[in-house]
Amino acid sequence: MQNFEFTKEELAKIDAIIARYPNPQPAVMPVLWMAQEKYGHVEPDVQKLVARTLNLPEAHVHGVATFYTQYYKERKGKYVLDVCTSFSCQACGGYETLHYLEDKLGIKAGETTPDGMFSIQSVECLGACGYAPMMQITNDVYVNHLTPEKLDKVIDDLKKDQLPEFESIPLVQNRTTAMENE
Amino acid sequence: MSLTDWKAYKPVLIPNIKDYHKIDVYEKHGGYGALKKILADQDTLTPQHVTETVKNAGLRGRGGAGFNTGLKWSFMPKPDGGPRYIAANGDESEPGTFKDRVIFEFNPHTFIEGSIIAAYAMSITTVYVYIRGEYRSWIRMMEKAVSDAYERGYLGQNILKSGFSVDMVLHSGAGAYICGEESSLMESLEGKRGYPRVKPPFPAQKGLWGRPTTINNIESLANVPLIFNNGADWYKGTGAATHPGPLLYGISGHVNRPGVYEYPTGMLVTDLINEVAMGVRGGKRVKALIPGGSSTPPLRGDALDGVRMDSDSLRQAGSMLGTAGMCILDEDTDMVDYLWRVSHFYHHESCGQCTPCREGTGWLEKTLLKIKAGDGTMRDLDLLLDLCTQMEGRTICALADAAAWPVRYTITRFRDEFEARVKNTVYALS
Amino acid sequence: MAEIFIDNKRYEFEGQTKVLQFILDQGLELPFFCYHPSLSIPANCRQCYVEAGQPVLNRETGEYELDDNGERVIRFFPKLMTACSLDATDGMVIKTHVTSELVRRGQKDILEFILINHPLDCPICDQAGECPLQIQTYKYGPEGSRFEHKKVHKPKRIQLGPRVVLDAERCINCTRCVRFTEEISKSNQLTISQRGDHNYPITAPGTEFDDPYSINTVDICPVGALTSTDFRFKARVWEMSSTPSIDITNAKGCAVDIWTRDNLVMRITPRYNPHVNDYWMPDAGREAYKIYNENRISRPEMVVNKDSIKTSWNNALLTISEKLTGAETGKTLVFASAYASVEDNYAIQQFFARFANTTVIYVPDIKPGTGDDFLITDDQAPNSSGCKLLGINEVDADQAKGMIDSGTYETLVILQEDLVGRGIASTESLTQYFSVYLGTNNNSTSRSASVTIPITTAAEHFGSYVNVDGRIQRTLPAKETLYTDRRLDLQMSMGRLDHYGTRFDNWVSDNNKIDCIPAWEFLVRLSHEMNLEFRYNEAREIIDEIALKNSSFAGISYERMDRELGIALQDQPSKELNPA
Repeated sequence: MQNFEFTKEELAKIDAIIARYPNPQPAVMPVLWMAQEKYGHVEPDVQKLVARTLNLPEAHVHGVATFYTQYYKERKGKYVLDVCTSFSCQACGGYETLHYLEDKLGIKAGETTPDGMFSIQSVECLGACGYAPMMQITNDVYVNHLTPEKLDKVIDDLKKDQLPEFESIPLVQNRTTAMENE
Repeated sequence: MSLTDWKAYKPVLIPNIKDYHKIDVYEKHGGYGALKKILADQDTLTPQHVTETVKNAGLRGRGGAGFNTGLKWSFMPKPDGGPRYIAANGDESEPGTFKDRVIFEFNPHTFIEGSIIAAYAMSITTVYVYIRGEYRSWIRMMEKAVSDAYERGYLGQNILKSGFSVDMVLHSGAGAYICGEESSLMESLEGKRGYPRVKPPFPAQKGLWGRPTTINNIESLANVPLIFNNGADWYKGTGAATHPGPLLYGISGHVNRPGVYEYPTGMLVTDLINEVAMGVRGGKRVKALIPGGSSTPPLRGDALDGVRMDSDSLRQAGSMLGTAGMCILDEDTDMVDYLWRVSHFYHHESCGQCTPCREGTGWLEKTLLKIKAGDGTMRDLDLLLDLCTQMEGRTICALADAAAWPVRYTITRFRDEFEARVKNTVYALS
Repeated sequence: MAEIFIDNKRYEFEGQTKVLQFILDQGLELPFFCYHPSLSIPANCRQCYVEAGQPVLNRETGEYELDDNGERVIRFFPKLMTACSLDATDGMVIKTHVTSELVRRGQKDILEFILINHPLDCPICDQAGECPLQIQTYKYGPEGSRFEHKKVHKPKRIQLGPRVVLDAERCINCTRCVRFTEEISKSNQLTISQRGDHNYPITAPGTEFDDPYSINTVDICPVGALTSTDFRFKARVWEMSSTPSIDITNAKGCAVDIWTRDNLVMRITPRYNPHVNDYWMPDAGREAYKIYNENRISRPEMVVNKDSIKTSWNNALLTISEKLTGAETGKTLVFASAYASVEDNYAIQQFFARFANTTVIYVPDIKPGTGDDFLITDDQAPNSSGCKLLGINEVDADQAKGMIDSGTYETLVILQEDLVGRGIASTESLTQYFSVYLGTNNNSTSRSASVTIPITTAAEHFGSYVNVDGRIQRTLPAKETLYTDRRLDLQMSMGRLDHYGTRFDNWVSDNNKIDCIPAWEFLVRLSHEMNLEFRYNEAREIIDEIALKNSSFAGISYERMDRELGIALQDQPSKELNPA
């Protein structure tokens, strides 16, 4: 059985997080994030670790963890592909993107590939409506303007553990007119 | 500036300046000047004066409700020596909305400066910035910006030796639309499940940890330095008279050039669609416009003439400004499919605390799914409208309203499509 | 005095009150689920909708504005308001379902919503018959359902802890149980898990809901989502009779209701008493039904040739009478008991006052550290304070053991106390004595006594007990003995089965009636046998006598105890013996 513990350095970081609030309870969300980054999930044992560390009731931590969708209450693939299918993306091919990925990886949304590399999820609006269709990789980088070709490349790169780079998208006006001299 | 020469408008909230997100560049272009001016002259520019200025400038909240920001600040009780908070709302989860992230990325310091001015106006001790968890990349940018602001002495103890102190703390969400609702946001900040609170008491009386709190949208706070740099009169004269100022328009859907734009409020939607976003893809007609995020009632494409993007004009047209996240749907859009997807969202995001929303959102979605699958009946359309009546105004927060409005107005405004879908259903009499 | 108008009727109120609580206080009805007077107010069920309005004040004159008919102008809130969270204000006008069609519609709408994902399994649900959802659906709900989809499925038959079972599909998310563990028992063992219509209450994974107050969540659950592991499927509500009583498993004396069917105690639930236990009781107190039902001593027993045999009451009385008559002065040791009622203790004290030099003592049963600062006490017995106030000599277990082993005494009379079980006496030491045990349940003391007299439990007699805070409360008989009859004793309660059953019905039997009498009554019969002046006809006479003779109990009566939910005894416990 895996032993879940925070290191001394992590505990010091947690103390610094707690210090930002009037009491330790608000630290539950940042510390769940820390734990998920460390272990890749917040299964019950990790929830217990968070509760123990912050001296909060386990039930409270469980209630919080299950309320927020970004916490993985069960193990996921190494790369979680969150495809936005909310209505702006839906209008611009969000579902086609999702289905393309499903066919490509041979799994359905909500499932993980047998090799544990990829999970696919159909998610709600990620706030990239103008750059649809798009997806987010493992709660982190956004990949915009998806096409089958772009998806193929992203998957190939991820298999080599190469994450896409963050794409900065300025105001359209500022993209189309010359930048003012600084 | 007047609305006729919008083409000449130069963005001020997100100015076209290279590396403006960097504190050096921001300072070089006069950044933190408004703050310096206020803190240097606290006898004249008292907190009350600052609040009045913002109120008179007419800045209205950019988060959706459109309430006068200065007026909101004035609801804070007198300082009693205890902690007081601003919760800056960067949850930005309303589908169709993607504008606050532009501020985080391209002009974080105007938001930070605006927050400090707001903090000064309300004697705030800590500003908590709640950013949706999905915006990990933008949270990193904000961490850098906040740390730079601390380093330069704009945040922390005794800011610019003025005697005024305020802290800023970033707090990441973790995937819950409801946390954009102000009382739910506070619950989440307190480390709980994001259940909206019963009001009263209102946040100004009992907010975070039972202390006076004001919740402002990121874009609202980012507007504040503009008011002091350019004057309240300038601000009042920009855009729509009753709803002035620069506005970030997030345009998405079936247009040729989607994205975020900055123009004054009160732009004609037809200008925004046809000229700014360069028209509908493939030259098609607009079937529907969702003007300000998924909860705002869709307008018919044939009823957009003369409609402007400000709260009065949109109310007259039968919708709301919301977050100004506009989604354009073309003539080929299946409105049943669209409405089902919107309902799916609210069903997924209902926190489940109170009955009408917890049960109603699911019922709406299931009924729409049935209609979408071709199994719906005319009775189902009436049932949907009835369920909307049972949800609207009956819940602790406005999520149930947000779920009901699109259903009510999509069905009433596009009823022909829904009727066509259910007419041929063969069903057993039950 | 502030005024409020509810359905056109004027009421007065003082101070701060919520509209729902005020309505309930007036004895009026307004349906609700999530509200509980002792918990925080989440206003989440939305069932207690009312229309609410306030009179318009003229800003200049400060007077109420009047319309053309001279009536106050009322400005109504635009939305239906939840009465539970609404503060009553002066001049407020409230319309409930009695006068408002909108409120009727609102209440019906909520019930329709609640029921769409609620399994309609009332026929197999324990809550049926006492279910707020069932009752309110009948009264205020829609007649049918327009919901034609699959219901949401959630975990069922989850053993949350040793004593509570969850059916999450029945849950309506009122959060009373979660709030109970957060605000009352403070164990924080429950939370709402998931989101939206998948919400349900649960413990953290891998942890048990073993809160010592866990079953209170079953009581306050407004549906059958939480049921008691022990009581599940044992009885339907309408088959039982309920009798007000108190918890005798510790010294707090929580007010309870004892629920019986065919003279078996089926369950024990807390009864509201703001002075003692509010709406709550410890789980342990609910186990007392076992004391009442199981392993009872029925019919006197005597040791004959080292064998314990059943004997007649007459024989038992004769034997004891002979022994006591022949006993040497100063050689009888009497154990009164903190487990017995004030009446029984007084009776035994007074009876033996007629024998010179008889020592009457009681041994408190305190286990330090087992209590909490809520409803569980270190004191294991219900009536230590009563014994103390009666002036019975208190000795600790070691002293008592010393007295038994000293050889000073020849006769032991033991009221209720399990001396062997508590280690105060051994089976061997008891055999040195002629010992009389007046007890309720078989135990090692009863098995060692020369004569065992079956006496009534708190579920079978009228008896008073003084709790740890000096509050005297009383019990009423919930079960019949062989000698009582609820059809004749008008103070006993009658449920449906009791009312309509006959002894020829298969659900009625005499099997559960114990052959026992109250201890005081036994002593009265013994005094007849011994020609002593010691006469009481009923327990009430004893308590009335105590009220007259013992200043600590001055002014008390059963009526006052009933009316005032017990009486706080003012005097400090006195050591002085009161002469008979």
